[in-house]
Amino acid sequence: MLNEYYPLVVISMIAIALGFFVVLLGSILGPRRPTQHKGQPYESGMIPYGPGTRRISVRYYLVAVLFILFDIEVVFFLPWAVAFRKLGVSGFILMVIFAVILEIAFVYAWKKGALEWE
Amino acid sequence: MTIMQIIFLITASVTLFAALMVVSTRKMMHAAMWLILVLFGVTITFALLETRFFAIVQLVIYIGAIAILIIFAVMLTRRSMNADVPQVNRNWWLVMVSSLALFVGLVTVMSVWEGFFVTARTAPPGGENLVQLGTALVDPNGFVLPFEVASLVLLAAMVGAIYVAAERKEK
Amino acid sequence: MNLSDYYAITPLVFLVCWAIFLLLVDLWIPAGRKGITALLSAAGLLIALVLVLRSGEQVLTAFEGSVVVDGFSVFLSVLFLVSALAGIALAHDYLQRLGLERGEYYPLLLISTSGMMLMTYAYDLIEVFLALELLSIPLYILAGFSRLNLESEEASLKYFLLGAFSSGFVLYGVGLVFAATGYTDFPGIAKAAQNGSLNPTLFLIGAGLVLTGFGFKSALVPFHMWSPDVYQGAPSPVTAFMSVGAKAAGFAALLRVFVVVFPGMSVNLTPLLWALAALTMFVGNIVALVQSNIKRLLAYSSIAHSGYLLMAFVPYGNASVRSDAIAGMLFYLAAYCLTTFGAWAVVIALEKAEGKGLELEDYAGLGHRYPFLAATMTIFLLSFTGVPLTLGFWGKFYLFSTAVEGGFWQLALIGLLTSLISAYYYLRVVVIMYMRPGTPQVQRNFWPLLTSGVGALAVVILGIAPGVLLNLAVSALLKGL
Repeated sequence: MLNEYYPLVVISMIAIALGFFVVLLGSILGPRRPTQHKGQPYESGMIPYGPGTRRISVRYYLVAVLFILFDIEVVFFLPWAVAFRKLGVSGFILMVIFAVILEIAFVYAWKKGALEWE
Repeated sequence: MTIMQIIFLITASVTLFAALMVVSTRKMMHAAMWLILVLFGVTITFALLETRFFAIVQLVIYIGAIAILIIFAVMLTRRSMNADVPQVNRNWWLVMVSSLALFVGLVTVMSVWEGFFVTARTAPPGGENLVQLGTALVDPNGFVLPFEVASLVLLAAMVGAIYVAAERKEK
Repeated sequence: MNLSDYYAITPLVFLVCWAIFLLLVDLWIPAGRKGITALLSAAGLLIALVLVLRSGEQVLTAFEGSVVVDGFSVFLSVLFLVSALAGIALAHDYLQRLGLERGEYYPLLLISTSGMMLMTYAYDLIEVFLALELLSIPLYILAGFSRLNLESEEASLKYFLLGAFSSGFVLYGVGLVFAATGYTDFPGIAKAAQNGSLNPTLFLIGAGLVLTGFGFKSALVPFHMWSPDVYQGAPSPVTAFMSVGAKAAGFAALLRVFVVVFPGMSVNLTPLLWALAALTMFVGNIVALVQSNIKRLLAYSSIAHSGYLLMAFVPYGNASVRSDAIAGMLFYLAAYCLTTFGAWAVVIALEKAEGKGLELEDYAGLGHRYPFLAATMTIFLLSFTGVPLTLGFWGKFYLFSTAVEGGFWQLALIGLLTSLISAYYYLRVVVIMYMRPGTPQVQRNFWPLLTSGVGALAVVILGIAPGVLLNLAVSALLKGL
């Protein structure tokens, strides 16, 4: 069983090691001459003001909620898609009903202006 | 001890430690981050149990969506993001004792039952049968009604979330 | 796809489709004309009612036995559909008056109703859980429907958090029952329970957790803490719908689960149910004595009525009185439904924006100014108390007599005693309405007045001839009883 995950483990190891390696390389090789201005947080060249952790708009929450909607749809689609050839027309229709009911939530969100950003 | 057991022990201890941090750390955002580690630990546990589908579900839904939603929710609240308030009230020891008692009680109850010691059947080659799961979802003798009702529950929840959160333009 | 499976649940399928259709149609109905949505949803409910009655008394099973449509589910489905109709009749003018006119109210109400109906059909613990979620989630939103009102928001949040908590209990219980027996469908669990091929302790804990979860939903003491605040904060039509629909659905699920799945555990569960029922009757009635807000008063009264309803469960292990107890409970639920909606209709007629017009003092002088409203309210309050020859009296009579038959005369005595206590706070309202001078302000909208009139008429007529309703309740028995 472990063999199946072996490539995954190797890739994660490489990714983590690469991340550490790049940062380490930069800190070893790069010159370090800190000034007060360099130490400031970068905010598109503007002088930063106010606390860094401000309250975000509720719209992000709506986007996250819609994301969950499609995420859950994907999870239900996966086993269905694997078994698709066995299921025939009725399986297809039932999944379409499932998907349509979920899409109605999307239509509702759209029409209510949850996706408009102004 | 096999390598699987070693991996399990490491995963379990990291998960438990992270879970402890979720409830004990003072900053909400840090708690949310620890929560992601907990969920990842559960993902690995599912993988160790050879239920790859549930590992994927755990990864996609819980880490990919729920954890993100929780982080957004933390960022939505005005002050709690940086709040440095104590995580426990006066009765913390009471809760600790009772939850420990519950845990010990449940384990004792389970351990007197012979089913507790049955070794799990090894999964068929290729892990769990995803085809069977997919068939059961739309099978009238399986779970077709719960499956369609689940979509309806999601619809209601989604409409509700939008109703609660959407800003009103027409005011 | 086996169409006969879907034939059995036609009313449910229709209601769901109608709710979705309404949700979409409502997007194109301009604000201020939401009366169209209200009418359409009422039409849908009426069609569903016809579809429910069509199946009559035959028992249909579908989806390999995971859905059972029997007399019990037909009786309760009719109750839920009538509740939803009343919920719409009370809501339309109310929402307009309080500036809350939003079309979402109606589809959400319909979805919640379909969840309640599924609850009565469910013959599988997974379906019970999904039905619970389907009926609760729209109610969380509806409780906070008045979005800018802080009390309503608080009600919604409280209801949501405790509701999610109680769903967790139910789900944990379902999980443990599954772990103990290896089945989630009722016949499978019942068979495992008979064979003894299960872990009894785990099974008992599971049953206890399911009971706790539904105890939260039906507001049994000590799981009732949320209900006064939620009932007070939520918009009144929603409260009325919630206090009838959600409660009846919770009891329906409990009854089905207990009678079909846990009959052998009555030895362990009966003392627990006994204590819960007694506690609920006492606490609900005693705390109601000191309430000065009519919504809170009705909330505590509703808790107390949960206690009376729970009395029907106590002798459930005794096969000879079981069917009488179930019939008594159905009768009581129907009486409670009619009386509650009537009383809330009067409350809504007096309620003003920003939660004004809800104190008991606001009812002073109602008897002289608006004799019709005061008379109907008096009828409802007398019926709640259980004064002889009202519908409520017969409800209590049947419940108490089955309790005595089952050998629980102490419980019946407690019921009688607490009913006496309840007379104090119910009659206080009557006294205020007739004896105190005052100038109450009433909104004379057609639909709430009609609801209270129809309710009062039904309570009086059925109070004189309770046999009609009792016969319906007796014939609406569970499958296999």
